[in-house]
Amino acid sequence: MNDWIAFFQQVMNFGPQIMAGLGNTLLLAAIITVTGLVGGIVVFYLSLSHNRLCRKLTEGYISFFIGTPLIALLFLMYYGLPQWGVRLSPLLVAVIGFTMNVAAYNARYLMTAYRGLDQDELEAARAQGFSSLQVFRLITLPQVLRLSIPALSNQVILNLKDSSVAFLIQYTEFFAQVQDFAVRNFQFFKAYLMAGLVYLALVSVIVIASRWLERRLILPGVRPL
Amino acid sequence: MVLLQTRNLGMEYDGKPVLRGIDLDLAEGELKVVMGPSGCGKSTLLRCLNRLVTPTSGQIIFRDEDVTRPDTDVRALRQRIGFVFQNFALYRHLSVLDNVTLGLRKLRGMPLGEAVERAKHELRRMDMVEHHHKYPAQLSGGQKQRVAIARALAMDPAVLFFDEPTSALDPLMSREIINVINQLRRDNVSMLCVTHDLFLARSVGGRVLFLDQGVIHAEGDAEQLFGNHSDPRIRAFFSQEAGNQ
Amino acid sequence: MSFIDILALLATGAGYTILVTLMCSATGMAVGLAIAMFHRLGSRQVSACLAVFTYVFRGIPVLVLLFIVFFGLPGMGIGVPPLVSMMLSLGLIAGAYLGEVFRGALDSVDGNEVLAAQAMGMSRMQVLLYIELPQMLRFSVPGMVNEFTTVLKYSPFAYTVGIPEVMKQAMALSAATLRGVEIYLAVGLVYFAIYKVLVTFVWALEKRYRVPGLTEH
Ligand SMILES: Nc1ncnc2c1ncn2[C@@H]1O[C@H](COP(=O)(O)OP(=O)(O)OP(=O)(O)O)[C@@H](O)[C@H]1O
Ligand SMILES: [Mg+2]
Repeated sequence: MNDWIAFFQQVMNFGPQIMAGLGNTLLLAAIITVTGLVGGIVVFYLSLSHNRLCRKLTEGYISFFIGTPLIALLFLMYYGLPQWGVRLSPLLVAVIGFTMNVAAYNARYLMTAYRGLDQDELEAARAQGFSSLQVFRLITLPQVLRLSIPALSNQVILNLKDSSVAFLIQYTEFFAQVQDFAVRNFQFFKAYLMAGLVYLALVSVIVIASRWLERRLILPGVRPL
Repeated sequence: MVLLQTRNLGMEYDGKPVLRGIDLDLAEGELKVVMGPSGCGKSTLLRCLNRLVTPTSGQIIFRDEDVTRPDTDVRALRQRIGFVFQNFALYRHLSVLDNVTLGLRKLRGMPLGEAVERAKHELRRMDMVEHHHKYPAQLSGGQKQRVAIARALAMDPAVLFFDEPTSALDPLMSREIINVINQLRRDNVSMLCVTHDLFLARSVGGRVLFLDQGVIHAEGDAEQLFGNHSDPRIRAFFSQEAGNQ
Repeated sequence: MSFIDILALLATGAGYTILVTLMCSATGMAVGLAIAMFHRLGSRQVSACLAVFTYVFRGIPVLVLLFIVFFGLPGMGIGVPPLVSMMLSLGLIAGAYLGEVFRGALDSVDGNEVLAAQAMGMSRMQVLLYIELPQMLRFSVPGMVNEFTTVLKYSPFAYTVGIPEVMKQAMALSAATLRGVEIYLAVGLVYFAIYKVLVTFVWALEKRYRVPGLTEH
């Protein structure tokens, strides 16, 4: 018991750094959630292209990023590019790497939802004279996004958890600060356990928020995937 | 000789009575048909008899043994009763042959070779042996039901229960099943058959029980009941069912 | 040093990457199956415990759990070897996800078949073993492929606990040669190749045991 009190004392002393780290974690997670969603929509749009080559390329893109670890891409940019004189900040590297990766996953969710869509409705819209971009923006996308809410909000949880990877490229996010704290105070178990609990709490917030969003946005009579 | 007998059998779901005071007996080699409107408790009756559900009152005597006693080995009882369902309930991941051998191997501990022999014998009887390597999804409804019957027969049961064996089948396939039941009758297989199907009840002969709201209201042979019965409920049921056909 | 040389050097670490992936996937399978089975057979209290386990292990980042196990537990007097640390972090997390996959697949098993098996005189355990499990595993293939892929993609974390897998080789090589771009590009290709082999293998296995009309692909 006493050592827990001592531990919390140490945490309080380290408070500013840890809070700054938490801020950086939330910043990264928020940015890649937005850019990953936009990127996912773009990739999804390209996957519907009438051009075979374009479809093949997007398929290859999705498959490659789903099949390779994110940290290979992060290390390539962070440790590799300087050899060509290109030095990017850890945050920029993380944003670029995560966006490409998350976009691939989001595009796949959207494609799965699209396959479950009523094709007649899209046909009808085309017959009404809408351009294909209009059909996409006004009909396809809203429906597909609604159907994908569970998968997309699950991706937000993954974004938050995976942002901890950025500490391996010196981005001073939450887990990096916890790591620093642990080494300085020689408090490994308690510090990492606390980090785990913090992530769990943040994940819970996202879970609650996404349930709320789901209830608000789901169309009556349409089951999400 | 009496094979199966119930005395004052009652069943409730959450305090709601579904069967009340059922007295039924089935002799060895006999066929009885139970008819009645939807929700009257027909499936529940069959499920009570093989103890898939536990009756709330009364007794079931199976070959002189009270199988409602708490120390009854219900799994042994169920192994002696073949059950054929409306929706076939074939195991979709197993071939026709494996559907029939599964019980023999896993419940009877029969060696594979012997189980296959026995299964093929029953499949031959049901005229399904040439389909033994197929999977359920590759069969017609009538074929599925014949496999289900072979699966039940393979366990060498004391009695066969049918729960609406033809109601998921078109008339032609229903005929297949009716023929099978008639054939089994000639082989002196004891059977209890629940059905909506007037044609089935007529074609297989046997005594017919009329169940309504959990109570047996009448018993007689088919023509007796289908004819102008004095009870208006029974008349209404049969004229409506006849209209449905 | 050519790109091919780089690939060849990295490939020496591939054995460890595959070992880590297989061991963690196997842990995940065992845990996931246990979760699904206990959920099916156990009481309401058991289900509640499993739900808590699943929630916790799906909510903690792999890296954090790995650090708790490998760097944290020794401070509590429990030393855990690197590979076991991977299994207790990545493996358990995969188990939590696979448990969800299996539970969903169990719900797709036709209740009528379960009833028929019980009517035949099978015990609850026999029904699970001979009817529910074989169907559930077939229904779960897409979910399992996803999860194995995820395990493969998180396997580079093994370098942080000193396992000489592909990423560790790449870091050593890049420190020595300063040719990070080619090296990490090669890393991507090596993982992608392992991914393709893994996915092809699982689907080949699925095809071997595929039952007509049971799953639709
Ligand atoms: N598991 C259960 N829990 C609660 N009530 C049930 C349950 N199973 C059946 N019932 C109720 O018991 C009554 C009898 O059901 P049962 O399935 O035996 O009818 P049935 O005569 O077989 O009808 P059908 O012709 O539609 O098959 C119905 O009112 C039904 O709603
Ligand atoms: Mg019924």
